[in-house]
Amino acid sequence: MAEVKVKKETNISDPAEVESRIKELCQQFPHGITDQVIQNDMPHLEPQQRAMAINKLLSLGQLDLLRNSSGLLYRMKDMQSTSKMKGSDNQEKLVYQIIEDAGNKGIWSRDIRFKSNLPLTEINKILKNLESKKLIKAVKSVAASKKKVYMLYNLQPDRSVTGGAWYSDQDFESEFVEVLNQQCFKFLQSKAEAARDSKQSPMVQRNSSFATSHEVWKYICELGISKVDLSMDDIETILNTLIYDGKVEMTVIAAKEGTVGSVDGQMKLYRGVNPVIQPTGVVRTPCGLCPVFEDCHEGGEISPSNCIYMTEWLDF
Amino acid sequence: MTAQEVRLCGLLLQEHFGEVVAKVGTHLLKSGAQNLRTIIHETGISLDLVKKSLCVLVQHGTCVFSSGRKAPGSPTEYRTSCDRILRILRYPRYIYTAKTLYGDTGELIIEELLQRGDMTMSSTVKTVADRLTQNMEEGRSMDYSEVSSAFSKLVETHFLQRCPPMAGAGTKDSGTPATPATPAIPESFPDCYRVPHVTLIGRGKRRLSNEDGEDQRNAKKTKMDSETHGDEGIYWQVNFERFHLHFRDQAIISAVANKLDQTSSEIVRTMLRMSEVTTSPTATCTKPLSANEIFRSLPSSYNIPRPILDQYLTLLVDDPMEFVGKAGESGGGMYVVNLHKALANLARATLESVVQERFGSRSARIFRLLLRKRHLEQKQVEDFAMIPAKEAKDMLYTLLSQNLVQLQEIPKTPDYAPSRTFYLYTVNQLPTARMLLQNCYKTVANLIERRLFESKESKRLLEKSQRIEAILASLQASGAEPEQLTEVEEMITAPEKQQLEALRLHINKLDSAENQVDETIFLLESYVNSTATS
Repeated sequence: MAEVKVKKETNISDPAEVESRIKELCQQFPHGITDQVIQNDMPHLEPQQRAMAINKLLSLGQLDLLRNSSGLLYRMKDMQSTSKMKGSDNQEKLVYQIIEDAGNKGIWSRDIRFKSNLPLTEINKILKNLESKKLIKAVKSVAASKKKVYMLYNLQPDRSVTGGAWYSDQDFESEFVEVLNQQCFKFLQSKAEAARDSKQSPMVQRNSSFATSHEVWKYICELGISKVDLSMDDIETILNTLIYDGKVEMTVIAAKEGTVGSVDGQMKLYRGVNPVIQPTGVVRTPCGLCPVFEDCHEGGEISPSNCIYMTEWLDF
Repeated sequence: MTAQEVRLCGLLLQEHFGEVVAKVGTHLLKSGAQNLRTIIHETGISLDLVKKSLCVLVQHGTCVFSSGRKAPGSPTEYRTSCDRILRILRYPRYIYTAKTLYGDTGELIIEELLQRGDMTMSSTVKTVADRLTQNMEEGRSMDYSEVSSAFSKLVETHFLQRCPPMAGAGTKDSGTPATPATPAIPESFPDCYRVPHVTLIGRGKRRLSNEDGEDQRNAKKTKMDSETHGDEGIYWQVNFERFHLHFRDQAIISAVANKLDQTSSEIVRTMLRMSEVTTSPTATCTKPLSANEIFRSLPSSYNIPRPILDQYLTLLVDDPMEFVGKAGESGGGMYVVNLHKALANLARATLESVVQERFGSRSARIFRLLLRKRHLEQKQVEDFAMIPAKEAKDMLYTLLSQNLVQLQEIPKTPDYAPSRTFYLYTVNQLPTARMLLQNCYKTVANLIERRLFESKESKRLLEKSQRIEAILASLQASGAEPEQLTEVEEMITAPEKQQLEALRLHINKLDSAENQVDETIFLLESYVNSTATS
């Protein structure tokens, strides 16, 4: 054949060309392009053709439609995720997208219904479908034990859902917390005693009885009583409970950036303290601890004259 | 005047002064100011007895009288107040403090004054000297001058004060000004703490063992012993406020010793001693003292170098309890003791200790958490305190039912729909302290009633043992043989002896428990009063 002049259709209004052009533009601007950008690039393109091309790309799942303050944005979608959705219909894609947006906090089925405006039965079918395809999973929330939130399969659930280091399988581990409590307190107490016995000037004594949260964290990690890795924040919550027990006090000092354990230029120091007063007088009498204190009257069923708690206490 | 306070006052009056006075006293407490006729009419007691009871009450300063409110000429009205009567509970503590500060002499002076209400200096000195001589060995007696010097020391440190002269309706002087409507405060008189010039020379007289004869002779003697000593009409009473300041200082010092160490508490003790007479009773904090002054006034046994003292002071200032504050930089640093803050901290520690003993340490954790963080939701309480949700809920509801914790509702919508309202738990320190104070009053009243009940139960036994003791004593005095003595002793059987012993233990226990509860009462009362004035 004579050279066939392949009439290259430079018809720029060819839909495929338009689509590929748009895709190239998207790749150029990974954050997304507005309608304006496409128009600038292909000024002769009619709005209708542009809209058709964009719709085709959207339905193929190659473009993401987003909205920001100035208008609509189009963004290139990840190639892998598009392959996953092959075989799913639009509704499933929508639900999947909603779940993906929820990140690692997960989303409740009712919220999915609100966002997608799909009826409940449809939602349930789709969720079952997605779960069987191993695209999403259900995680029981620790706050309300009947509630199930859905999130992407490979995401780690957020701490607020599982409860973090203190929960194992939705059960609060009180003994674990107690043990940690005791250990931290013993560590701080022994440090304070060592400081007191060193008989140096009082300022030095007090400063050496302080321990930073970092030191306590290291000590607990080395003790190895915890199966789970504990972060410094976890240790700080434990130390806070010790403060609420009145056994420990805390100060915050400014620390140089870069010193070990400093957060935002501050360090928290903890120190074991002694109680301020002995148990007060009224609790040494039976009346101070009496469970029926309010009902006690002279001449009544319960009265000081026939109080059994008093009788026991007097014979003690 | 709450019901618990009235009940406790009634019991205290009954123990110390008897049934009739107790009746009149409680009646006056409940009905406010009344004149004589109304009292007689409402209590149904005869005029004579009512007059005597009122005399007793006035003598001890618990009752004040003033002219009637209706018109200047109407009959005088009598009024009592709870506070003064509740002090009776604290008498043992006052006497003990006087003993530690001024020895036996001081102890006896305070005891005499508390028993009699008010006395002149001369009569006090004589009585105390006699009592001291009684306990000394044969041939020695107490000199009046020693007792007088102890008395003057007590007045100098403001533990004793003059009674304000009563300008009542019964004065015979024609030159008195119009009767004041309210009784005057002792402190408003310039001579309040001035020791009069008394001529007291002599020694204490020993009472011989022949009591009956001596009594008659003494009675005659007092009538004839009308030597004047230059201080007629000047009556002295115990200054309770000063004792309370002393107790408060002691509480602060022991708290500092518990929290920090002995040396810091000594420093605080020095600071408080230096500001004893310069600080008014209701002051928020003492006058500023410079570090130089403190250094000079430290007791010589604690020779700590100056820089170390500065370090201790800095540590005291930095302590979260805020016992000591820094008020300036002149003179090496001016330091004050924060009295009101210290009282608030001690009251808070008392509340926490009560919750801990009554409900357990986890409830105490929740209580302290709410005190620190003021308002918290249920979920936040569980998170901060690291207590499982079910248990935390249970504990919170128990505390709520005992009114130690309050619930604050914050609605999101104008209708207080429960699903759209925030419920926050909170603790208010002052109302809780007041409530606990009332509980303490009830506790003390319960203890006193139990003690009376126990004595009443074993009344027969006690009477028997008293009779036997009297027989024994008379037999011994008249020189009987040992067989007679043992025969008398055996009239009390062994189980009865055991019972008596147990009874004695019980009563001692109840007594000491009353004193312990009184310590709590003192702390809470001081705290409540300090917030009222500030």
